[in-house]
Amino acid sequence: MTSIVDYLLNLLSFIEIDTSLLLIFVILIPGIGLFLVMTVNAMVAVYMERKVSAFMQDRLGPMEVGLLGFKGGKKFWGGIGQTIADAIKLLTKEDIVPDNADKKLMLLAPFIIFIGAFVTFVAIPFSENLVVSDFNIGIFYIMAMSSVGVIGIILAGWSSNNKWSLYGAMRAAAQIISYEIPIGLSLLLVVIVAGSLNLGDIVQWQSNHRWFILHSPFTFIAFFIYFISVVAETNRTPFDIPEAESELVAGWMTEYSGFKWAIFFLSEYANMLIVSIVASIVFLGGWLSPLAILNIGIPEKWMFLDGPILGFFWLMIKAMFLIFVMMWFRWTFPRLRVDQLMYLCWKVFIPFALANLFFVSIWELIF
Amino acid sequence: MGANFLSEYINNIIYGVKSFITGMGLTLKHLRNKKDLVATLQYPNEKWPLPERNIGFEPSDYNVIRSRLHVDIDDCIGCLQCEKACPVDCIKIDTLKPPKGNDYDCGKTSHDTQKKMIVPRFTIDMSECMYCDLCVHPCPEECIYMVGGPNEDKHEIDYEFSQYERHGLIFEFATSTDEDILDIGGETYLEERKVKEEKRKKGEKLEGIVKGESSESVDEDQPEKEKHKDPLLEIFNIVPDKVARGIAKKAVVFGKRSGFDFSKISEEVEGRISAAGKTTSEMSTAIETLKNYKPTPIDIEDPSNSKENESSSKVEKGVEELASKSSDFNVKSMDFITDKMIRGIAKKTFMKCKRLKLDVNATIDSIISDLDTNSKLDNDTKEKLLSFKDIGKTSDNLSEIKETIKEESNSLFDIKLLNAIEDKMIRGSAKKIYMAGKRANKSSSEVVEDIINELSDKMDDKTKGLIGDLE
Repeated sequence: MTSIVDYLLNLLSFIEIDTSLLLIFVILIPGIGLFLVMTVNAMVAVYMERKVSAFMQDRLGPMEVGLLGFKGGKKFWGGIGQTIADAIKLLTKEDIVPDNADKKLMLLAPFIIFIGAFVTFVAIPFSENLVVSDFNIGIFYIMAMSSVGVIGIILAGWSSNNKWSLYGAMRAAAQIISYEIPIGLSLLLVVIVAGSLNLGDIVQWQSNHRWFILHSPFTFIAFFIYFISVVAETNRTPFDIPEAESELVAGWMTEYSGFKWAIFFLSEYANMLIVSIVASIVFLGGWLSPLAILNIGIPEKWMFLDGPILGFFWLMIKAMFLIFVMMWFRWTFPRLRVDQLMYLCWKVFIPFALANLFFVSIWELIF
Repeated sequence: MGANFLSEYINNIIYGVKSFITGMGLTLKHLRNKKDLVATLQYPNEKWPLPERNIGFEPSDYNVIRSRLHVDIDDCIGCLQCEKACPVDCIKIDTLKPPKGNDYDCGKTSHDTQKKMIVPRFTIDMSECMYCDLCVHPCPEECIYMVGGPNEDKHEIDYEFSQYERHGLIFEFATSTDEDILDIGGETYLEERKVKEEKRKKGEKLEGIVKGESSESVDEDQPEKEKHKDPLLEIFNIVPDKVARGIAKKAVVFGKRSGFDFSKISEEVEGRISAAGKTTSEMSTAIETLKNYKPTPIDIEDPSNSKENESSSKVEKGVEELASKSSDFNVKSMDFITDKMIRGIAKKTFMKCKRLKLDVNATIDSIISDLDTNSKLDNDTKEKLLSFKDIGKTSDNLSEIKETIKEESNSLFDIKLLNAIEDKMIRGSAKKIYMAGKRANKSSSEVVEDIINELSDKMDDKTKGLIGDLE
């Protein structure tokens, strides 16, 4: 398995320039690509979120802003240009900084959160060989980097010098650190079975055997523990007590506006994409075609199995479905209380994840 | 205790999973059935149909409920009655009359009235309209009226009459094309309209607004208008000092109001100016001019402030003057009649006679007889009217004239005569019957018969007699 960086280094090796300069160039190209993936994802997801929420509440959602003259009528595509209009509006808004805020830290916070989301993408394989850098400790790296964001959240809450911001930041820190334990334990389960921390190897294992969600009852439970925990980690409803707009205005984002707030927004949706992709790779077979596991006699050329581009397509389908499920959660369940949140994590998920870990080890010994 | 705790814990988890699935199922149902469940109405594009309702009006009265003005422009004769009646000036009408020698046919209305001009502009600004209905009643052709009552069929959906732009509330009813206007010889009108349109497009302010731009110019304009009104005040324009000019003009106005003659007015002015210490050579010249001022005939006809306290002696004087020249007898001569009703009837008869090209004596006779039938004629008016006549030329063909007049109006008496009926209800029904009879080309006697038959149980003797006289 080769990565994009290796591929580009080989491709451009005939240019006789300094290696460090070449390296910067080679890093920039996938960096811009990743940024595009993040922004496009944010736009699509925001539009999807608005439409899904509208339909679930018997509304129509945005209907007026078209894209290049295409308005879409009363169907799902109505108002498809709304997100672009919103983004332009957001970027032209005034950037307000409160007088008593710690201005340097307040400026720093959104970028820390953004970088936390951005560097996580580096280790994510979008398809076979379509990974920026192929780590042999991929899962560990992703776990570590997605926790960087919490530093930014605490910085944002503290520097805003606002009671709501601080409450939100503290809640976020408590929540994210708590829920990292069940996430780690349920991923550890897969690592035990597959015997590797490399995401590519994990998908390869699923290709050789079966998807992890169908492997054993314990991995099945582990998937749900993982998925519900990452919903909590991305601070989405019903686990959105750090933002809790009815209690804390907007939590740690209260004092932010304009471009900085746009970065928060971008990072939130990027985090959603990251956790959905990781869930797809680890439990749902990654870039493997879902048609292959059905095994209902379709000829192999109709299963769309091969190639990095089809793999990217299947992975995105799975990830988008999981993002849709997150939205589905959001517009179904009311927000949990703080004690309920902690009850769920410490008294339900962690014991079940530990028991899973124990039983799956026995399962692997027997079968 | 321990076992209880464990069972409660497990029950909690089972309950949690169950409610999780139920909730997700509920929202999924709403997501999938969006065609049946979505309640949103895309308002400007879609509208609810107005439900049937009974708001206590007869369907025929719906037109008077707040709605929107409509003009049947084919019936409009350009009489400007509605424009004059509008208290907020939201109706603007331009008319073009064919010049003499141009035999352009303006067409006929549905009441069979020959139109004498075309209407190249008939705009109603509904943003200014206050729905007072005052323009509807004076219309002689009944072509301007309110439409769009709550249950009227043709506006089933368009119940709010809203527009996307403010400009959209200005409705243009005129249908005259540029060719029509050119046919009638209105090249200058077209050019003026073009200039105005260009100004509007450029965003330039049109005439009326330009004056208000600077406050100083307004101050200057105000006395200038007064100057035009009264030549007496113009005399003082030679005085350069503004303050002195003001004092002098005030004194003149005061003097005129008190009915002073010119020498007395000039004394008043002199006194006030010297009291203020503003005496200059120009001022004394002006006062001298005022003393020797000879009023021109225009002054008598149109003194700006004598209109209010119109003295009968002055009118009499005017009447005498006019009577001395029989050729001067025109429709304005009737202005001495103070009662609006009588004046109107007299003028109407005058116009009819004019159309028939009767001479002055015959005209006056017919006016008197017409007023007589209305029992509106008092001796004073009669004497004055008779004074217009050339002495010794009393016309004998009075009955002849009356007949011709009646023939001209389709052998039917005038609908205005029914106004003499006091009771509103009876008057209304009588008018309705009259209109029905008119449409059926009935004669006077037939119509009167109809009215009496229809309304005999409601009318008192006085009204019966009145209607009987109409025959």
